[in-house]
Amino acid sequence: MFVAEANPLNASPLIFPALECMHIVGFAVTVGTIALVDFRLLGWGMRRQTTGEVASDLAPWTLFGLVSIFFSGPLMFSSDPDMYYLNRSFQFKMVCFALAILFNYTIHRKVALGGGSEGLGIAVACVSLLLWVGVIFGGIFIAFV
Amino acid sequence: MSLLAFAQWVQTTGWATALRGSWYVYPIILSLHLTGIAVFGAMILTVNLRLLGVVMPKRRVADVVDQLRTPKRVGFVIVATCGILMASSKAEEYYYNIFFWTKMSLLALVAVHALVFHGSVYSKAAEMDRTSRIPGRAKLAAALSLLLWISIACAGRGIGYIEPPLDKLHAQLLPIHTHEGR
Repeated sequence: MFVAEANPLNASPLIFPALECMHIVGFAVTVGTIALVDFRLLGWGMRRQTTGEVASDLAPWTLFGLVSIFFSGPLMFSSDPDMYYLNRSFQFKMVCFALAILFNYTIHRKVALGGGSEGLGIAVACVSLLLWVGVIFGGIFIAFV
Repeated sequence: MSLLAFAQWVQTTGWATALRGSWYVYPIILSLHLTGIAVFGAMILTVNLRLLGVVMPKRRVADVVDQLRTPKRVGFVIVATCGILMASSKAEEYYYNIFFWTKMSLLALVAVHALVFHGSVYSKAAEMDRTSRIPGRAKLAAALSLLLWISIACAGRGIGYIEPPLDKLHAQLLPIHTHEGR
């Protein structure tokens, strides 16, 4: 509670929504570029390129989105840490987010850059999409639980 | 029928009432709206930033623009369907919401943008590859599209911050705990 009251973020009513906009654009870039790789793994788009080409072309943009998420997210958290820390939906989101990031930079990356069979690619794409959808649902439900 | 009367009528239809009455249906639709935004938004960004020579500069313009058209449209249908459902459930409240009208106006500008640039830019990707130079018109179209869609995302987020004018509303309001703001 002390942190929330002392935080200059809470001084202006415009800072939080501005951070939210940054968060939305950032997550759209990150999740969207990863989804594009997943769609390629599933054979739904960009079939004139290999999955490896799509993945390496988009990797810097995934990272760009992550930078804006990692800038805006912790700042929003700091506006009311007690609420977020105890919020079940926030806890769910963080678990999904940690798993999604870990998965993305290990197995997902390896398979996208040209490892494994088509079946494995489909399985990896499904896991990836599910984890990121979990992050989105967890984020939205913070305001509703 | 005035616009306000129309909004009140939409809001009292069975499914709009049902959507409003349940604590979890609304956030599920909002989450799907955001999921669609991730897909649609990434397609918009990739296509337009390719025209600006920033994303995937090694790939042919036609490879990016043409191959992303279908996933982009699927994403748009998801976003629009969820958006219409949510707007219907709170139609009367949104009638008084300045950010809702800002967003609708910007969407109208998107339609104008499509009318002006679709035929001359987005359906001419193969020609740009032949001349290996992206014309100024295409770059203008890309920059305007990015500006419009980012503004739409921000205006959309603003909608949840406007308090409904309680003295003017007829329909039963949401339960207290399902506020959208923070």
